[in-house]
Amino acid sequence: MSGDTILEVRDLRVSFSLRGRRLTALRGAGLDLRKGETLAVVGESGSGKSVLAKTFLGMLDRNGRVDSGSILFDGKDLARYNKEREWLGIRGKRIAMIFQDPMTALNPLKTVGEQIREAAALHRGLDRVASRAVVLETLSRVGIPEPELRYRQYPHEFSGGMRQRAVIAAAVACRPEILICDEPTTALDVTVQAQILDLIKSLQRELGMTVLFITHDLGVVASVAQRVAVMYSGQVIEEGSVREVFYDPRAPYTWALLASLPQLGVKGEELYSIKGTPPSLFKEVVGDAFAPRNPRALEVDFKHEPPVFPVSDTHWARTWLLDPRAPRIEAPETVRRLRARLARGGAGAAATGGADTGKGGAE
Amino acid sequence: MGAYVLKRLGQSLITVSIVVLTVFLLLRLMPKNGYFTREDYVNMDRDARTAYLRNLGVLDDPFTQFGRFLSGLARGDLGRSITVYPRSPVLDVIGEKAPYSLWFGLAALALSMALGLGLGILMARFKDRFPDGAGTVYVTIVRAIPSLIWLFFIQQWVTALLGWPMVFYEDRPVSWVLPTISLALSGIAWYAIWLRRFMVDEENKDYVKFAVSKGLPWKRVMRGHVLRNALVPLVQYFPQQILLTIAGSLLIESIYSIPGMGGLLVSAIRQQDNPLVQALVLLYSVLGVVGVFLGDLLMVLVDPRIKLAESSGKGAAA
Repeated sequence: MSGDTILEVRDLRVSFSLRGRRLTALRGAGLDLRKGETLAVVGESGSGKSVLAKTFLGMLDRNGRVDSGSILFDGKDLARYNKEREWLGIRGKRIAMIFQDPMTALNPLKTVGEQIREAAALHRGLDRVASRAVVLETLSRVGIPEPELRYRQYPHEFSGGMRQRAVIAAAVACRPEILICDEPTTALDVTVQAQILDLIKSLQRELGMTVLFITHDLGVVASVAQRVAVMYSGQVIEEGSVREVFYDPRAPYTWALLASLPQLGVKGEELYSIKGTPPSLFKEVVGDAFAPRNPRALEVDFKHEPPVFPVSDTHWARTWLLDPRAPRIEAPETVRRLRARLARGGAGAAATGGADTGKGGAE
Repeated sequence: MGAYVLKRLGQSLITVSIVVLTVFLLLRLMPKNGYFTREDYVNMDRDARTAYLRNLGVLDDPFTQFGRFLSGLARGDLGRSITVYPRSPVLDVIGEKAPYSLWFGLAALALSMALGLGLGILMARFKDRFPDGAGTVYVTIVRAIPSLIWLFFIQQWVTALLGWPMVFYEDRPVSWVLPTISLALSGIAWYAIWLRRFMVDEENKDYVKFAVSKGLPWKRVMRGHVLRNALVPLVQYFPQQILLTIAGSLLIESIYSIPGMGGLLVSAIRQQDNPLVQALVLLYSVLGVVGVFLGDLLMVLVDPRIKLAESSGKGAAA
């Protein structure tokens, strides 16, 4: 599970100006992406998952900017890029992205083939005939039958699942090194979700891509990723292998997140939900951002921001509980129950419950 | 496709018939005195007036008159003007005036499209910056200030400034310029504001984000995706706008003394010139209906999602 780091994010701060006020969306986020792995980034809405991914492509909205920190990719610091010309060598060519809603990600007035071809031709310097051949090959690779016919069709002639396949084809046609998937299955039917996940997994193997998978669905995490990064209020608060984060979570927010998995609930009992709301990012956050919602918060949580504490070589968390001086506080009972279930059934089975059947696609 | 066109043509025919019949019947409710010029009315005695009206055919019952109108129409005869151009064939009157309105209108429309679309692109490209603000000021002035004011301003002051003629002369091309520009000013505003709006709408759509993420340069995304899609809702109006240039502009043609179609319908109605009103209403409604129809056909060409058919079956014509 080791291997070279392909993308290294350190202490990244990103803010947006909104009607004269500054909203800090990333407050020193850090992350390592290793070559060939699938890293899942999880967290609730507003935690900064998508903003983080957009910084890798220089696609922050016009009112946003990177204030400090670094994004090292192939010896270059992407956080310093600010001209379109600089990004054009990266965007779509070496790092590609697929979006949440395949129904709106394609231009309704252009043929699907043309929309894949325009990027392939640009990045690989191919003429019309050669790029068309690449597109046809990619279409069949992503499991779209009758590529010749589909090439000429418009997005409205595609079903939701087929559109997401076309979007994936457009993203992988240039053989990117990193593929960012921003909740690619959220807008799809459950049955189609599994197929798309399988497709992403097999493409990753065939093309040797590194995948960054943004999701809020912990079931999806267990089925696609080797490692997980948990985000809260603009920071990555825990990172480790799927097994480590699910078996042995250390940050109180990770506990709360796992405890609210419906699959872990006991029939008849009320499902756990995290009380309160994340702090306003318009104001400076003091201490641990999760402390106000954490019934087990320590006094220090309200005063000082926790640093990164290593748990093992591959696992770290940002919580004062890992400080040697901290009192021993146990994870809540539901999380321990997960541990027990994992011990019995393995990571995938317990965490995914009925949501994902894993196998059984169109291929 | 063929069946659809036939069906639409049939519907168009019905629409035009209803418009023409309604106007025809309304004209018959007008007082009979209206058919005389002031002089004629004074000079004729009661019998002569009755004879004159009988001769015009307006004493018969309206449906007989309508039948006569239709049979004339079938022969290509729309009758003669009564009061506006006494005794001239209506078609000759229109044939003489229409070219002026048509040429001025087409030139102004071309100018509106070129400048208006250009301005719209600039406004969208530099949204919330200087070009957008300047464009908005222009659009607001043109739309908020009654056109009569700036039209007179142009005629009085701009002509004086440039030393150009204040009215239209057929043989002096320099006198054609200001009427054309005056005619184009509101069209420019119309194209600019709508294109800007549609481009900004498109710019915020997900497919634009995806196109950018594929690594296309922003200029290419703007040209190949945003502009192209933003033009689609405007395309529908092109045919109508082209065809209806023939109707001319009442204001501009009268202040520059252009002998076009502009005031014709108004004077024909005021002077109760039945054949002239009927012919103009027929002409304008045919052009209007045909324009809408062509606009719909054009939409099919530019938007693959639109199909010319009733049901969206598999065999739908495309």
